[in-house]
Amino acid sequence: MSRQRRVRDVLLPELDAQLASIIGASVVLVVVAGLVQIRYGAYEMPFETVVRALFDRVVWTNPDVLATLVLGENAARTLGVYADLSVLTNATIVVWTVRLPRVLVAAFVGLNLAVSGAIFQAITRNELASPYILGVSSGAGVAVVFTLVFSLGAYLLPLAAVAGGTAAFLLVYAVAWRGGTTPVRLVLAGVVVGTIFNSLQTGLFYFIESNGVMRTAVAWLAGSLTGVDWTDARIVAVPTLVVVPAALASARQLDVLLLGERAARSLGMSVERIRFLLSALAILAASAAVAVAGLVGFVGLVVPHAVRTFVGSDYRRLMTGCLFAGPALVVVADVVARLALGGTQVPVGVVTGLLGGPYFLLLLRRTESFTEF
Amino acid sequence: MPEIPLVSTDAESTDATTTDFDDPVEEAALLASGIELGYGEEIVVDFDDLVIPEGEVTALVGPNGSGKSTLLKGLSAELEPASGSVLLNGRDVQQRPAKDLARELGLLDQENAAPGGLTVEDLATHGRYPHRGFLDPLTEDDREAVERAIDLAGVDHLRDTQLSELSGGQKQLAFVAMTLAQDTDVLLLDEPTTYLDLHHQLRVMEVVRTLNEERDVTVCVVLHDLQQAARFADYLVALDDGAVYDWGPPEDVVTEQLLADVFDVDAAVSFDREDDEPRIVPRRALD
Repeated sequence: MSRQRRVRDVLLPELDAQLASIIGASVVLVVVAGLVQIRYGAYEMPFETVVRALFDRVVWTNPDVLATLVLGENAARTLGVYADLSVLTNATIVVWTVRLPRVLVAAFVGLNLAVSGAIFQAITRNELASPYILGVSSGAGVAVVFTLVFSLGAYLLPLAAVAGGTAAFLLVYAVAWRGGTTPVRLVLAGVVVGTIFNSLQTGLFYFIESNGVMRTAVAWLAGSLTGVDWTDARIVAVPTLVVVPAALASARQLDVLLLGERAARSLGMSVERIRFLLSALAILAASAAVAVAGLVGFVGLVVPHAVRTFVGSDYRRLMTGCLFAGPALVVVADVVARLALGGTQVPVGVVTGLLGGPYFLLLLRRTESFTEF
Repeated sequence: MPEIPLVSTDAESTDATTTDFDDPVEEAALLASGIELGYGEEIVVDFDDLVIPEGEVTALVGPNGSGKSTLLKGLSAELEPASGSVLLNGRDVQQRPAKDLARELGLLDQENAAPGGLTVEDLATHGRYPHRGFLDPLTEDDREAVERAIDLAGVDHLRDTQLSELSGGQKQLAFVAMTLAQDTDVLLLDEPTTYLDLHHQLRVMEVVRTLNEERDVTVCVVLHDLQQAARFADYLVALDDGAVYDWGPPEDVVTEQLLADVFDVDAAVSFDREDDEPRIVPRRALD
């Protein structure tokens, strides 16, 4: 068996009608919503111009130009691949520096949140778990508000979010640990730590003095993609390169973990170690998303849940579905967040919440049992 | 029970003194010595020695709360003994890496969480977990083991059925297939028939018996049905309040005295001439 074949066998599921249609529909949604997002806005252009700008020959035939756009001027200079961007048309500049990175960041955020949610749903054996269940959201929230209140610098926000989220997660684990953990203990510890951190965060709000800072804080807590650029795309892309293969490779561990702790242990799994590593992977994915977009809610909960109703609970299939459906949801939601209200942009987290709520309402009316995987 | 000198974790140095049995330590697939098992401060099981002989079917019997399941948890390294040790083929189960242990020791629970979307074949394939590395695909060996397990558990006709569509008995047989695919020399079963109808109770026990006879697998099974235990097991271990009350072949262990002392039941025990199997007719509960 060749090495290539081996890796493919392990990582990729067999494609069947359901999985293929999820992937197909997601790709179509991302492309259509992406084109809409790129076309409309303060600088309007016809679709023809959009396509021409995306496939601009100056960008694609000139590696230095592409590198300067994607890596930023400073990094390009350092690497010696800098090119002057003034050769580009206005449309190309707008598409490549403002609108395309926003679509890309939205897709990455959706992917990471969906993967993170899928992992946490297996770890806690609860299909209503979200990436924020082990305290990431409240930890990141406190750190972000703290950074803003004490004006530590806006460029520190992504770092603060990741540090706060990770600290909260470790605290949750420490609280839940008593010669080992159980899903229930972890979730309860998550609630406890979350409550404390949320109170701290609310308290901190009273120290905010300017309206501008207040807006930034609210946008972070609600989850917003306003003003993201290639810097954010790079921040989220790097962890994603780790998250995607790791998530696919972990699928079998997640499947075995779902058989129950006792069965997993009798099959020779070091349950505590695997559970911690998988949690860390899920936290990495969630943090990557939180660092660039703030606390976008409901994506990590709805996407794995919805994909599961189509492809079942086999994690290789579920994970693959999430890799496509997550980006689709966030890219579409961001189009609504940016364009639906004309002049005013709302945080994308508001839109995902408005989409996710009714989905669960529908589910609640239709399903009898929530706990069955 | 006779004194059995403690052996070191080294398999070579098992020079036990001769006792009632040929050489219980040498013959032991599992040997628990000086064991105290419990949860936190509370010790539930406490006795000197227990031998699960190699290549035989041993049943642990006893009333509720006698420590059967706790003992099994100790044997499977799920519970660390407060004192004493459990040796599997001469090596301490607590010292061994989980995967390593799972290649030699299988465990089947009385009830299992079954993720709905999984097929019987998927489940059986998970039984190969301890034989595969993190990124290893299924090898030919794995596939053969899964086939054998499905065949032996008699779930071939259900292989593509999802677990959520199975009855309780069929589901248990699917989990039997998973445990068989693990391909272990020793198999522990924790009340595998408790929630099953009579037909599936017999099916599960027959699979276990076949496994023992054809592949020489050592079986240790917790059963709360004494009659069933007497029928299927070569040896019985009767537990009473966390200690071993008696140990031996069913015809020696199952007595009216045992039923009165351990189970608090007034019963008549008779022997069928043809198969030497004790028959228990319970009369009334003793106070």
